[in-house]
Amino acid sequence: MGDISIQIGPVRFKNPVFIASGICGYAEEYSPLVNLSRLGGVVTKTITMLPRAGNLPPRIHEMPHGMLNSIGLENVGLDRYVNEKLPQLNQRPDVGVMVSVAAETEDEFIKLAERFAPMDGYAGLELNLSCPNVKGEALDQGRNPQLVEKISRIVKERIPKKSLWIKVTPNITDVGTVARAAEQGGADAIAAVNTLVGIDFDLETGKPVFARGSAGYSGPAILPIALQKVWECAKAVSIPIVGIGGIATIDDARKFFLAGATAIQVGTSLYNDPGLPERIVDALAENPEWMRARARASASPAA
Amino acid sequence: MGEFVPARAHEYHARVLSNVRLSRRYFLLRLERPRDFIDPAAGQFVHVAVPTPDDRFFLRRPFSIHDCTRDAIELVIVEVGPGSQALRRAREGDTLHFYGPLGHAYPVLPEKRIVAIGGGVGLAPLYFYGFRAPGKLGEGYRLLYGARTREDLFLEHVALERTGVSLATDDGSYGFKGNVVQLAAAVIEEEPADVLFSCGPTVMMKAVQKLADRLAIPHYASLENRMGCALGACRACVVPTKLDGGSPYRTVCHDGPVFDASVLQWDELPVP
Ligand SMILES: Cc1cc2nc3c(=O)[nH]c(=O)nc-3n(C[C@H](O)[C@H](O)[C@H](O)COP(=O)(O)OP(=O)(O)OC[C@H]3O[C@@H](n4cnc5c(N)ncnc54)[C@H](O)[C@@H]3O)c2cc1C
Ligand SMILES: Cc1cc2nc3c(=O)[nH]c(=O)nc-3n(C[C@H](O)[C@H](O)[C@H](O)COP(=O)(O)O)c2cc1C
Ligand code: FES
Repeated sequence: MGDISIQIGPVRFKNPVFIASGICGYAEEYSPLVNLSRLGGVVTKTITMLPRAGNLPPRIHEMPHGMLNSIGLENVGLDRYVNEKLPQLNQRPDVGVMVSVAAETEDEFIKLAERFAPMDGYAGLELNLSCPNVKGEALDQGRNPQLVEKISRIVKERIPKKSLWIKVTPNITDVGTVARAAEQGGADAIAAVNTLVGIDFDLETGKPVFARGSAGYSGPAILPIALQKVWECAKAVSIPIVGIGGIATIDDARKFFLAGATAIQVGTSLYNDPGLPERIVDALAENPEWMRARARASASPAA
Repeated sequence: MGEFVPARAHEYHARVLSNVRLSRRYFLLRLERPRDFIDPAAGQFVHVAVPTPDDRFFLRRPFSIHDCTRDAIELVIVEVGPGSQALRRAREGDTLHFYGPLGHAYPVLPEKRIVAIGGGVGLAPLYFYGFRAPGKLGEGYRLLYGARTREDLFLEHVALERTGVSLATDDGSYGFKGNVVQLAAAVIEEEPADVLFSCGPTVMMKAVQKLADRLAIPHYASLENRMGCALGACRACVVPTKLDGGSPYRTVCHDGPVFDASVLQWDELPVP
C-alpha cells in the first residue's frame, strides 16, 4: 500500500477520500459501518449559529437515478456542536474532521470562525455557501464572487493553521469565477459540488413532493455535471479541488482525478454502499503514482 | 438529549435460504443468519440493499425482523413498489447485503398484560415478540391481527389461529368482522390490559392511541418513514413529537421505530 497522503493548505490528510457533508451526521453515527480512521476524513453536517429544526417531513424522495433531499440544515447549532460533538471527536484523533459551517451574515461568519479558532479536534472548515434547502441568503452568497472572496478572507484570517474549503454550488453557469474569488480570498481548496436544484411532482395530488417545492438532487445522475464543474474549477484556480457528486464506484472516483481534483467526497452512495469509501482508498493506494500523475496534469488549461 | 450512542450494527452479506409467497401481496424472505449477527429484539429492523439488475439507483429498504432463530432471519415483505418487487425476485442461493439490527425495540414487560395490535404487515415485529423474544404468547401477551380481507392475511406458515392469535377482517371474510382496534376494545372489555403495542397503518395506530388515552394506559407504537442512512445521521426519517431538547423531531431509525406513543404528534405524522 503506497502513500496517497495529500496536502490541502496547512493540513496533511492521510488520503484523498472523504465523506460529504450531511451524509454521516457528526461522524460518530457511521462508526458501526465505516472505519473512519481509514479515510482522509469526514465532513460534518453543516453547523449554523443557532440550532435548526429543519424542514417538515417528508425529507427525501428516491428517483430512478438519484434522490431529492429537503432536510433543511437540521443541526444542533454551534454551542452544542462545540460543547458536545467536538469533545467526542477529540477522543478520536485518528479521524480527520472537516466541520461544515453556514452563516447568514459576514458577522456570523466572523463569530463562527473565532469560536473555532482556538479549538482542537478538527482539521478545518468547509464553508457551505451553497445549500439549496434554506431560504434566501446562503445560496446567494455562493453566487456572488465579491462576497465569496470576502467571506473566505475573514474566515481564513482567523484560522490560519486550519484548512479552509469553500463548497460551491453547481447551480450557476460560471463556477470558475466563484472558485477564483475563493482562491483570491485565501481559501485552501474548492469543494465542488453541492446538490443541484430539482423538483418532482406527485401525480395523485398534483403537488410537488416536498412542502418547500424545490429540493437538492444528488446521486449517480449528477456525476457528469459534477465532473464538468470540477474541470472548470481546475482551469480557473491553482489551489486543490475536492470533487463531489454522484460517486458510486471506484471508477467514478478516478474520473474526478482526471478532471483535476486532488481529493474526493462520497455522498449519497454511502447510504447504499457504506464500504465504498474504504474500497476507493484501497484502490488508490494500490497505485499511488496514478493519482499523483493524473491529478491536475490532465486538467490544466494547456491540456 | 445526552450523548449520541451509535447503533450496535454491522454490515452483513447473507445467502437467501428461501423466498416464498404467503398470500396475494406478501412474501416471506428467509436469510441465512450470519454467525456474528447480534441477537435482535422485537421491533428492530434491518436495512436491506436492493439487488439491481441494471443501473437504477436504490436507497436501502428497512424491514422489521419477523423472526430470528439460530440459523435464519425472516422478513415478511409486502409488494409496494420497485424495491420490494426486486426483493421478491431474489432466489435461493442469491446473496443480499444488509445492516442491522437497528433501532429501539418494544420494551420487555414480563409482568404486564399486553395487548398487541397489528395491521397488515405490521404483524411482523409483534409476532417476533410473542413467539420468540422476549414475550410468550398466552402468558400475558395477546396478539390481535387485522387485514382488509381474507386474502390479505398472511398466515399459513404460522397457522396463527391455532396459537391463539385473534383475527379480524374489515369485510368479515375471516374472524371478527370489523377493524382490529374494535376487536381490541372488545377483548379488553373482557379482560383488562396494562399496555398496548401497535404496528400497522398510521390511521390504525392513531386509533389505538385514542383507545390508550381512553383506558389511560401506555401505548408503544412502531412507526415507518423513508430512510437514507438508518443510523441517525442524515435526519431524513424524522417525525414530529411533543418533546423538546432543541428540536421537536426524532428519528424513526434511531430514536424509534418503537416510540412511547404519547409523545408523538399524531396529527402531523408524515405518510411514507
Ligand atoms: C422500521 C420499518 C420497518 C418496516 N418493516 C416492514 C416489514 O416488515 N415489511 C414490509 O413489507 N415493509 C416494512 N416497512 C416498509 C418498507 O420499508 C417499504 O414498504 C419499502 O421501503 C417500500 O419500497 P418500494 O420500493 O417497494 O416502494 P416505493 O413506494 O416505490 O418506495 C419509494 C421510496 O419510499 C420509501 N418508502 C415507501 N414506503 C415506505 C414505508 N412504508 N416505510 C418506509 N419507507 C418507505 C422506500 O424505501 C423508497 O425509498 C418498514 C419500514 C420501516 C421504516
Ligand atoms: C441527505 C443529504 C444532506 C445533505 N446535507 C448537506 C449539508 O448539510 N451541507 C452541505 O454542504 N451539503 C449537504 N449535502 C450535499 C452533499 O454533501 C453533496 O455535495 C451532494 O449530495 C452531491 O454528492 P453526491 O451525489 O455524492 O451525494 C447533502 C446531501 C444529502 C443527500
Ligand atoms: S434515516 Fe438517516 S437519520 Fe434516520
